[in-house]
Amino acid sequence: MIQEYFHTDWAAMTATDWWGLFITIAIFFCMVGLYYLVLKPSSKDKLEQHCDFVLKEDSIGRSKYE
Amino acid sequence: MSTHTLDEPKYNFEIVKWFTLSAVVYLVVGTLIGTFIASQLAWPALNFDNPYLTFGRLRPLHTNAVIFAFGGCVLMATAYYIVQRTCGVRLWSDKLAWFTFWGWTTVIVLAVITLPLGYTSGKEYAELEWPIDILIALVWLAFMFNFIMTLATRKSSHIYVANWFFLGMMIMITYLHVGNSMAIPVSLMKSYSAYAGVQDAMVQWWYGHNAVGYFLTAGFLGIMYYFIPKQAEAPIFSYRLSVLHFWALMFGYAWLGAHHLQYTALPDWTGSLGAAVSIAMIIPSWGGAINGMMTLSGAWHKLRDDYILRFLIVSLAFYAMSTFEGPVMSLKTVNALSHYTDWTVGHVHSGALGWVAMVSIGAIYHMVIKLWGRELYSTSLVALHFWMSTIGAVIYICAMWVSGIMQGLMWRATDDYGNLMYTFVESVAAMHPYYALRTIGGLIFFSGAVIMLYNIVMTLRQPAGAGATAASRA
Repeated sequence: MIQEYFHTDWAAMTATDWWGLFITIAIFFCMVGLYYLVLKPSSKDKLEQHCDFVLKEDSIGRSKYE
Repeated sequence: MSTHTLDEPKYNFEIVKWFTLSAVVYLVVGTLIGTFIASQLAWPALNFDNPYLTFGRLRPLHTNAVIFAFGGCVLMATAYYIVQRTCGVRLWSDKLAWFTFWGWTTVIVLAVITLPLGYTSGKEYAELEWPIDILIALVWLAFMFNFIMTLATRKSSHIYVANWFFLGMMIMITYLHVGNSMAIPVSLMKSYSAYAGVQDAMVQWWYGHNAVGYFLTAGFLGIMYYFIPKQAEAPIFSYRLSVLHFWALMFGYAWLGAHHLQYTALPDWTGSLGAAVSIAMIIPSWGGAINGMMTLSGAWHKLRDDYILRFLIVSLAFYAMSTFEGPVMSLKTVNALSHYTDWTVGHVHSGALGWVAMVSIGAIYHMVIKLWGRELYSTSLVALHFWMSTIGAVIYICAMWVSGIMQGLMWRATDDYGNLMYTFVESVAAMHPYYALRTIGGLIFFSGAVIMLYNIVMTLRQPAGAGATAASRA
């Protein structure tokens, strides 16, 4: 049943099908890379320093934000 | 709550004020038309045998009014407000900003004229004919160009995540609007889609679902990521989660459209792919909703008396609910029951009333206080508005759940011999109480919008710096 569901006629794949398959897989790996980059411990301080950005917006242009 | 005005010469807040006030007016008008057409479904005599007032012509007017007039003005007001505040610079071009305001207003006026006259391309959420589509594209490009150039001249090194959401929305909506509106004109007000058959359906729902995903979600998440920490006066719970939320949403949403076309001539795998990615999207959507809610961590007490914050936080509860419900409905087994029923209408309104409208209302109240430098005329009226919006939305959604599931079950019920148990008209008759209930829910929500308009008008009539809660007097 599962084999039948996932059966693919590779010979019938058109150029559009191959392009769609490539994009899907490429985006999947981009997402895996993104999760790694964002969630790795060394990124924590770098990203989380902006969590209060909107609370300090009045100082934009006057302090370290310049 | 601070009452000092932000209307400093360094920023162009005049344009924000105009878009903000327009949004409030369009919310009233859009929900009024919605309530009227809901009444027409319950009591068809309200069509008055007048072609200009029939459900078929007023329904697209309602959707265009709430999505593009109200939603569009909210997005433009907040994008112009947030990009200036978070970049520390004035808008790159005032002239271009005013072009977007008058251009967008012209589009809305043209929609009000042409839709009741019956001019339509027949594409859902993209009904306007080709000359208006070209105007929309020009205005939208001006909006995006001005936003990008303002970002380019920013004084902060970092681009805040809300701006990323706005920018992603602008790029994707340009792509979607132009792609879906490709048509061959045969006269000034008539055109035919450049796509045929099932390709047209696929393009239509690639656009249709992404109008929800990018216009009504990404842009409003930008609003959420700015106004919740601002109103709560607390840092966002996790900036890392917001970055993941942004990219996952941008990459994911574009694939979902095919789930609107389950059990049609579209290849089976496209519907399966749409459903699979829909389920995967629960993760970033819930991550974002939790991120917004947990911003109140340690400050939950603020919900007790800050009704603006309540609007913003409750909108996230509806966001979480509808981003779970949608993927479940996209599954073929559930879709076999839910598709073409009122369940879909209920789902859309849980997102539209509960998420989009309520996060917008919270943002508008916040901006009115800041832009005009005065407290609201009545905080009690804000509280009343909050409860009317919440109760109205819940009544609407529940009525449509019951109605939709009953419809689906009646349509497919068969007797022991395999014959259908109910005629279609029997299912229509069975819907009547729920359609009446939906009208009541809509009426309550609309009345809340009228209260908001009244409260804001009265606020603006007060002198700058005036204190709140005349309401407490009322």
